[in-house]
This record gives sequence, C-alpha cells and structure tokens, in this order.
Amino acid sequence: MDSQLEAEAFKRIYPEEYFQRFLSEGTRPDGRPLGRARSTTIGFGAVSTADGSALVKIGSTTLLAGIKLEVMTPTAEAPDAGKIAATFEMPPLCSPDARPERRLEETSVVVQQVMNAIESAGLVNTKELLISTGKAAWVAYLDIYCLDADGSLLDAALLAAVAAFADLTLPPVRVNPEGHVLPVLSGAQGGNLRENGDASSEVVTVERRKLTLGAMPWAATIGLYKGHLIVDPTAEEEALLESTVTTILDEAGRLISLFKPGGITAVTTALIQDCVELTRHRARELKQILEESSQEDEDEGDESQ
Amino acid sequence: MSARGAPSYSPYSGIEERVMQEDGAGPASRSVLGADSRRQDGRLPEECRPAFLQVGTVSRAAGSAYAEFASTKVLVAVYGPRESRKAAAYSDTSRLTCDVKLAAFATKSRGKYGQGTAERELSDLLHKALVSAVRLDTFPKASVDVFALVLESGGADLAVVVTAASLALADAGIEMLDMVAATSLSLVGGHLLVDPAASEERAQDGNVLVALMPARNEVTQMHLAGAWPDTHAAQAIELCLDGCHKLDGEMRACLREHAATANGS
Repeated sequence: MDSQLEAEAFKRIYPEEYFQRFLSEGTRPDGRPLGRARSTTIGFGAVSTADGSALVKIGSTTLLAGIKLEVMTPTAEAPDAGKIAATFEMPPLCSPDARPERRLEETSVVVQQVMNAIESAGLVNTKELLISTGKAAWVAYLDIYCLDADGSLLDAALLAAVAAFADLTLPPVRVNPEGHVLPVLSGAQGGNLRENGDASSEVVTVERRKLTLGAMPWAATIGLYKGHLIVDPTAEEEALLESTVTTILDEAGRLISLFKPGGITAVTTALIQDCVELTRHRARELKQILEESSQEDEDEGDESQ
Repeated sequence: MSARGAPSYSPYSGIEERVMQEDGAGPASRSVLGADSRRQDGRLPEECRPAFLQVGTVSRAAGSAYAEFASTKVLVAVYGPRESRKAAAYSDTSRLTCDVKLAAFATKSRGKYGQGTAERELSDLLHKALVSAVRLDTFPKASVDVFALVLESGGADLAVVVTAASLALADAGIEMLDMVAATSLSLVGGHLLVDPAASEERAQDGNVLVALMPARNEVTQMHLAGAWPDTHAAQAIELCLDGCHKLDGEMRACLREHAATANGS
C-alpha cells in the first residue's frame, strides 16, 4: 500500500519522470506496449430516437454519434443529391477542461476532420439521399457527442460517425405533387392516413432501407515523445507529449489526411512513413472490430424477431 | 448555424398526434390502458420502468452516473469541489451549479442548435431538487458542478436526471444529508400512470414530480401541474413517494456494488 501511495505521489509531483520511466522500459503507465491501441467496442443503435446511432469506446474515451434525417429541397447546383451536416460537441461533463461557458478549441477541428475524411474516402454517396429529383432529398444531421474525453478523440469520433452511417436506415416516404414529403405508415396505425392521402402522391421508398456505404476511412492518433511513437495516447499521456499526429487512411490504405496540431517536432519522411504504417495496422484492427460488432448486432436482431 | 442553409423538416415528427386525430379520439378520451388494464409498454399503472443504474462511468470526473429507464437515457458527471469560475469577487459561500443538456438527437424531432428553454428549465429544477440535500458548508468558497446530458428523452426526464445526479454526487464523495430520489407521474384521462413514458407524457392532463430524501422522509422538490381532482392529487403524491422509496433501494444497491468491485480489484 505504501509503495502504491508513493508511486501515486511521484506521478503527481514528477509526471514527466514518471512517464519516462515507463517508456525506458518499453511500456506505458496503463501497461500497454507503445504500439498498442486500447480495447475498442462499437454499439449500434444506442439511441432509438435517432435514425442511426453508434456508441464507440476506445479505452475510456467514449463517443456517441446520432444521425437524424430531415427533408430539404435540393440545391440548384445538385438537384439529385442530399447532404450531410455534422456537429461535434464536447459537453462539460466529458472532461474537467470543458466548461459550459467556453468551447474547447478541439471541437471545431474534429468535426472538420471527420467530414473531410468521410468525403475524401467516399463513404456516403449523397445521391442515395435523394427522394425526388429537384423536389426533395434527405439531409443527414450527424451529431457527435463526446461523453468521456480520455485522449485520441478524433479516432473515436470518426469511428462513431462511420458506425452511425452503417446503422442508418431511411424510412419509407411518399411525395405529393407539390413536392411535400409524407410518411408511409404500415399496419393499422396508419390505415386512415394512407386512405386519406391523395391518390396522386407517389410512393418513393417502400421499405426501410440502408445506405450502400463506400470506402470507410480509418484514423489513428500517434503521440510523439522524444523519438518514441505512442499509439492511441490517453488524455494523461497527451498532456505530456511533444505533439500528436493523426493519420487517416481510406479502405485501400491510401493516405487521405495527416493532421499534426502544433507542438515542436521535426517531421521527417521517415516519421510520416512510420505513422502511416502504424495506422495501417490499426485500420485492419478497426475494420475487424466494426465487422464483428455489426455481425453481433444482426444476430441479436434475428433472435429478437 | 447559418451554414445550414435552407430549412428542413421531418416528415415523421408529430405523426402519433396526427394518427390520433384521424382516429377521431380527442386528447381526453384517448385509451391509455388496454383491456387488461395494462399500459402500451405492458406495465401496470403503478409500475415503474426497469431502472439500470451505474456509477463511475466518466473516467476523468470526480463522480459520475448513468441511468437508463427503458428508453430514457441520462449521463451525469460531477466535477469539484473546485475553484468557482463564476465568482468574480471573493465569496465565502460555496456553490452548486447544475447544467442539463439534451443531445440534438435525444428528442423525436431534432433539437435546433441548443435546445434552449427546455435545458434552462431542467437545469434550474435539478438545482432546486439537489441543493437542499447537499452540505454546502463542507466546501466553502468552492464550487461543485453537476453536468447532465440527456442522450435519449423517453419520458420522466427530470426525475431520471435528479436520480442520476444524486448518484453521481455520492460517487464523487460530496457530503449530502441524504441522496435524492425522484419519481414523476402523469394523469391521463383519469388514470394515474407512475414513471410515464414519452407517449404518455404527450397525452397527459396533469403531471406531478416528487424528489425525496428517502432516509429522512423529507421532500426537496414537489411540482404539480395541470387540472387535478383533489382526491387524485393526494393519491398521486403517495404513489410518487412510494416510487422514490423503491428507487432509493436500487440506488443504494448500485453504490454498494460499485464499492465492492472497487475494493475487490
């Protein structure tokens, strides 16, 4: 007990030395080797009021992404496409640094990076969000909430966004001649509505349907500290690091984004190559986790029916 | 957010109401109880939803709790006692701040940027329900901040927020006279429905919420609204008090279990 207390005190007073001692042994305060990410889980359909949602946990870092669909009039430039509008929120409960009266600077960066990655990889074909050319299309409002900020937020935010799109279903709708979109209700509940609806309205989507997702983007944050590369740093580690590099790759392993917010480190070709290599490894891991979780999700769905 | 551009709408919002209107049923004559006198979700009128409670869910908070009552899902984190950011001048008094947010996708129709009035009202009511239970004298000059996020609004939101918040305060080791358990009830077409679901709340003629310190049997907040016949009101409060006592048992079990696993590891 005494030695544990001493270790805790040492960590508080000399955080830097505490961290270095671990690194010199080739390990980290939480026992991971430098190259290993924390255990990652994905829960689909966490929020039933959303049209698509996913809860992602990477270690303690927890993000919840929800998508709600609304109808808009397509723009003149793209009459056959819907759109995606995204926000990222760090409510004050997620971290001691987030306070209600001030927005953390990370927040606006994360949402831009997530949207860029989704667009560059071609995850969602916005033409699939079309309801009726020139008249109506879906706008997918993607809201990502950070519930626990324990480092490497961008990785988890992107994974949550991808998983929420994988969970998204488009409800059945019909369009009346004025271009107004009306719901299609099944069973006794909507019987009257359907009869009362004018006969001229055209049923566009008959059944609930999922999007056909394109290539998925995968991200890994790598911390730089005195020549060490530290994969998936926690908040505690991030506070000590010289800098971090977040690398985003697409399905084919192509580099689609490299983001190094501040810090002083020499960026060499070798460093970039190392980061890409580490991210490639992490991408394979994440892909497998996503596939396994969606398989489990389907199995559960089958059982409950 | 001006970048949103043209306004958008949801074709499915308010669909329940429209279906009911077409069925020719007025708000008062709506059938809330089936032939077997059970509610839509199969509960008896005086039955609460199954509660799932967990503490220690936010890693960097002093204390935290997650509460799930069927589809009502709430996460609360407590920070402090820490330096008060709001106090500009020296102040001897301690402060309990409460802030409740609703996730944009928590409600049936998407919340416009910041759910404004509803959030302010919930924050204020949460503060009033908790403040008399917290021993403010134990952290002079400092502030304890309670932050709640409603992940999914499935009915009786405030009661769940209050319950989760007092669990989070207990988890943070903030001294309290007692934990606060809260239960609400809806009056729908003459029926008293304890711990209402969102659809029952939308159809209600009246609502009552009771926040109780169960061990002391003292009420920190009681809020009754709507058109209540006298006899019903007294009975409704009794039902809520009963619900609070049951909830208190579950809250204590949750804390005991957490303490046991923390010591075990």
